[in-house]
Amino acid sequence: MRSERTWPITVLLAAASLPLLVMYAYLILDTFTDSAPGAVFPNRFTLEHWRFLTERQGSRASIWQATLNTFIFATSTTALVLFISSTAGYALSRLAMPFRRLFLGGVLILHAFPTITLIIAIFLILQMLGLYNTLTGVILVKASLELPFGIWIMKGFYDTVPWEIEMSGIQDGAGRFQVWRELVLPMVYPGILALGIFSFLSGWSEFILPQVLAPDASVQTLSVYMASLIFDDQNFNFNLFKSVGLFYMIPVIILYLVFQKYLMNIYGGGTKG
Amino acid sequence: MTRQAWLGFGFLAPATLFVVAFFLAPVVMTGFFAFTNMSTATGITGGTYRITEGVISRLAGSEDVPAPLIEALGQQQSVVDPTGLAALAQGDFDAAFVAELEEELGGRTFASQRELEGAIRDLDNRPRRVRDIKAAAELFERSVLNVDFATQADFAEAIQAYAGPVPDTAMTALARAAYTGWSMTTDNFSRLFNSPELGTVAVNTVFYIFATLTLFNTGFALVLAITTFYLPSRQASFFRTVWLLPRISPPVLYVLLWKWLAWDTGFLNAVLEPLGVAGRNWMFDSETSAWTFVILINGFVGASMGMIILSSAIRAIPQPILYASAVDGAGRLQQIRHIILPQLRWPLLFITSYQTLSLLTSFEYILLSTDGGPGSTTEVWALAAYHTALRNYAGNLQYGYGAAMALVLVVFGIAMSFVYLRLFNFKALVGRPRIEQ
Repeated sequence: MRSERTWPITVLLAAASLPLLVMYAYLILDTFTDSAPGAVFPNRFTLEHWRFLTERQGSRASIWQATLNTFIFATSTTALVLFISSTAGYALSRLAMPFRRLFLGGVLILHAFPTITLIIAIFLILQMLGLYNTLTGVILVKASLELPFGIWIMKGFYDTVPWEIEMSGIQDGAGRFQVWRELVLPMVYPGILALGIFSFLSGWSEFILPQVLAPDASVQTLSVYMASLIFDDQNFNFNLFKSVGLFYMIPVIILYLVFQKYLMNIYGGGTKG
Repeated sequence: MTRQAWLGFGFLAPATLFVVAFFLAPVVMTGFFAFTNMSTATGITGGTYRITEGVISRLAGSEDVPAPLIEALGQQQSVVDPTGLAALAQGDFDAAFVAELEEELGGRTFASQRELEGAIRDLDNRPRRVRDIKAAAELFERSVLNVDFATQADFAEAIQAYAGPVPDTAMTALARAAYTGWSMTTDNFSRLFNSPELGTVAVNTVFYIFATLTLFNTGFALVLAITTFYLPSRQASFFRTVWLLPRISPPVLYVLLWKWLAWDTGFLNAVLEPLGVAGRNWMFDSETSAWTFVILINGFVGASMGMIILSSAIRAIPQPILYASAVDGAGRLQQIRHIILPQLRWPLLFITSYQTLSLLTSFEYILLSTDGGPGSTTEVWALAAYHTALRNYAGNLQYGYGAAMALVLVVFGIAMSFVYLRLFNFKALVGRPRIEQ
């Protein structure tokens, strides 16, 4: 059945993909070149669009400050999500305990719940707690909102670990904690890796939470930095924006290329758009 | 309880703590805030009690507060009270004058400073110079206008001291009008249901969800999944990667690329102008073009989730069935119609229900692209809530009203989450663990 001709399909798909191909090709091209106004193709090679790496843009903090903030934000949320999901997921997957169904049902409902609707209440709560405009506040919020998803994913990975492994550990006299730590946890490393990469990418790209909860220059992440650069009408320069954008996307591209297989599963579960 | 149960609770404790503090609390608090009139004007912590010109004009014509009282509150008057007398004693005045003033006028109220001055002139030990009389009278000038009182009791006491006894109903009405902080109210919901703008926003939202969902999130996702299934694997994985780009790109960057495509000086114009199409900003040119871009931007992201899920569902179809149908002479279209599509019913249902909720509540891409414009033609419900409560050009952020708008989405979200549980077999997902110690 695959011997039939496929070129009409290829042409059809290529045509539909054209906007994406053009946008991403020019994303890279435009960061190294200049074009005459209204021209389709660039006419000059230049590195000046990358000067933002050493020069500040207006009164903004340096890009490295924003990069550091983004890195702290993404790694801290990832660490929290991994630690908390790997224990909670195990409890829900394997431990017989009262209220287990209640916890599971809660996680499942929250997992499906659209968290972005809570942004107004979260903004007011952080103001009341004095955590507004701090990285700590936005990290705690991001990690908490991601937890039901993380717990659910980790529970799924624990569910695939054969019961025989734990049975044999317990028959050898180990406690449940020791069995978890030494026998089961190593079996779900692929899950931890997948969830970790996903959380990191999700934190790295996050826009609304830092924009609303930590907009100040000293704590702003790259997404907020870039959005403020674009909204600033004084200096409208797509080549600059794209260079900043490409710089911002480099870790995403690298992680994606290396861990594509792991991510496919998780994106299939869907968390946005 | 068993040790295992304790271990379980210990393992769940951090998760419970975080989720309760920053997930469940916001759910509950959204409901709470929706019943308040919190805004930039009221602040979010408590307020004070203060009579201002605004309060007085709002009270005019009130049934609860007598008109003379309202008038008195707006003016200044002179009260010979202990505070003033103490200040007088501290000042550079004759002791006999102070004693006489206390004896003759103590406790009396004068409608204006001039009347008090007149009364002072009648005293035997009055200061000789007019300037001193004025200075003495000034010490008794009292007004409750623009003075902050921390509690309602302080406020009531000051009003009574200033204007004499006030009936309880009048005092309650006065205190409510004078309070600068937020208070509980159901006004947000009557506003919500009576606002014509929100009616338009609701229609926009339905249109946006329906169009994006049918055209891209299910429609085009189906096309992508089926076409890539029939392509050689290298080509197929190329197209899948291309269509995943929008999903893995940070939203700020992804929307920037669309802006560049549509901008006055952007790519579309560079291509179209030589063909005689007048240059314009395609994203804001008209209502149609704005909607087209909003749907494209969201649809290109949304298509990839359907593509992944549907692709794996198609790959799960046993190959022999497809070969057998090919041997029996079925063409591709017949295969798709009779074998592939029936297999995709459940995945499509999942995608539809998931993406409906997702499109209803997420506003990130619209915020970054048109921001609801031009005018408010592409304003959807979630974005309207954001604009009301968190960011608008007027600078008057109405937290309470915005929370009421968000509450509608929260309730809908909870309801849809329960629907998922029923659709996707809750019992099997929460089966009991097999080791019992």
